[in-house]
Amino acid sequence: MSIIDLTSMGEPQSDLKKELNDRLTKLQDEISEYCFQCAKCTSGCEAHKLLELEPHKIVALLKRGLINELVNSDVIWTCMTCQKCRERCPQRVAPVEILFALKNMAVASGKQIPGKYTGMLQSILSMGLIQDIQQTTTRSNKILKRDELGLPPPSKPTDVAKFQAGIMKIAIEKV
Amino acid sequence: MKKKFALFPGCLMPTEQYAYELSIRETLPLLDVELVDVEGFSCCGEPMKSVNQLLTLYLSARNLAIAEKHQLDVFVPCAMCHLALTECQHVLEENPAMKERINGMLAAEGLKYTEKRQVVHTVDLLHDQVGIEKIKEHVKKPLNGLKIAAHYGCHILRPSEIGRPDDSEHPQKIEAILKVLGAEPISYPQKLDCCGAPLLANLPESALTKTGQKLQAIQEQGIQGLVDVCPWCHKMFDSKQTKAGETVAVKLDVPVLYLTQLLGLAMGISGEKLGLELNLSPVEKIQLGDVQ
Ligand code: SF4
Ligand code: SF4
Ligand code: SF4
Ligand code: SF4
Repeated sequence: MSIIDLTSMGEPQSDLKKELNDRLTKLQDEISEYCFQCAKCTSGCEAHKLLELEPHKIVALLKRGLINELVNSDVIWTCMTCQKCRERCPQRVAPVEILFALKNMAVASGKQIPGKYTGMLQSILSMGLIQDIQQTTTRSNKILKRDELGLPPPSKPTDVAKFQAGIMKIAIEKV
Repeated sequence: MKKKFALFPGCLMPTEQYAYELSIRETLPLLDVELVDVEGFSCCGEPMKSVNQLLTLYLSARNLAIAEKHQLDVFVPCAMCHLALTECQHVLEENPAMKERINGMLAAEGLKYTEKRQVVHTVDLLHDQVGIEKIKEHVKKPLNGLKIAAHYGCHILRPSEIGRPDDSEHPQKIEAILKVLGAEPISYPQKLDCCGAPLLANLPESALTKTGQKLQAIQEQGIQGLVDVCPWCHKMFDSKQTKAGETVAVKLDVPVLYLTQLLGLAMGISGEKLGLELNLSPVEKIQLGDVQ
C-alpha cells in the first residue's frame, strides 16, 4: 500500500471527496444559520497576528459556498489547531473543524500535501509511529540512545501487515 | 489505594522526549500509580488530522481498543494524544454508525471498541487521582519558592465540551501542584498562548516564532523557569529554545522542565534518574540541589 491510496487519485478518492463534500455542505448549512460574523473567533486566533488567518472570514467564505477557493488557498494550512475559536464562539460554530475539513478536501483533491505530513504518514504506515527512535544529546553533548537510558523497547504494532490491512480499509472502503 | 493504567506513550515521547518518560516512570509508581506497558500501540493519529480525519479517528480507536482488550484505563502523557483519544471516544459514543464503521476496520487486527474507559493526562492524574495531599506526603526537598510559570498546552484545555483535564480559560491544577512542591507559581498574561508545535510539519519558521515570543515574554517578566506537560510543547520550549530565540532575535535562557521532573526533584529523586541532563535549556540555573 502507498500514500497514494490514502491521499490522491483512484476510484476510492471520489468516495472520500463525496463524503467530505457532504460534510462541508452540512457545515455550510449550520453556519448559515448560526454564525453572525462577530469575529470573536478571529480576536483570539493563535495564527491571526503571525500568519493573517481570520477564521471568521473562512466561515463567511464557506457560507457563500466558495469551497474551491478555500481548498486551493494556502491560508487554511496556517491553523495551529489551538481550538480557541471553537471554545469561544458564542454560536457553537467550530471554525477549526471547518479548516480540518477543507484541508482534508485539499488532500483528497490531489493537491500537494505541504511539509512533512507525507513523511509522517509514510512512517506511520511502515512502523506505526511518526518517526523511529532518535538519538538524543545531553547538555554536555553526549549522545545517548533510548536503551542506554534504561528505558524498555517502545510500544508499536507487532504485526505490521495486519496493522496496514486495517488502515487500508480507509482507502478502499465504500461509504 | 493503588491505581493502575496502561501507559500510552504515543510517538514523540518514546522516540525522542526521553526525559518525560524517565521522570514519569520514576515518580508515579512511588505515588501508588501502577503503569502497565502494553504491546502494540501506535500513533494516536492527531498529526494526521489535517490530512485525513478518518485516519485519525481510526488510529485513536485502535489504541483505545487495545487498552480495552487488556481491561485497562489509559494514562496519556502527551496533550495532543490525549485530545485525539478523548475526541475519538466522544465521536464513537455519539455516533453509533461511525462506531460500527470503525469496528469494521478494526476487525482486520481482531480488535473492537465497545466501551468508554478512563483516559487521563499527567495533570488530572496527579491533581485529581493521586491528589494534592498524597503529593504533599512525598515532598522531601521543597522547591524553596522557585518562581515558575506553567504552560498547560492548548490540547489539554480545549474543547471543554468533550471534557478536558482542566478549565479552558482559568486552569489552576498545575499551579496547585507547584505550590505543594514548595514553588511559587507565577501567573502571566501569555499563559494560554500556543507553543506553535502543530505548525512544525509545514511552517517551521512560524512555529518557532510562536515559541520564541512566548519564551521572550516569560524571560522579560523575570520568571525563573517554565514547566510543561506535553512532549510537543517541551520539544519547542526546551529542545528548540536556541532556534526559537533566533526567530525573535533574542538570546533566550529560560530553564524548562517537565512537571514530572520538578515533582521528582521535590520528592528527592536524583536529577540523573529524572533525565535532567537531557534538557537542553539551562536548567542548572535554577539550582535545585540535585540539578547538574
Ligand atoms: S465567533 Fe462564531 S459566530 Fe462569531 S464570527 Fe466566529 S464563527 Fe461566527
Ligand atoms: S484553531 Fe486555528 S483557526 Fe481556531 S483559533 Fe486556533 S489557530 Fe485560529
Ligand atoms: S500526538 Fe503525536 S506524539 Fe502524541 S502520540 Fe499522537 S502522534 Fe504521537
Ligand atoms: S501547546 Fe502546543 S503542543 Fe502543546 S498542546 Fe498546544 S499546541 Fe499542543
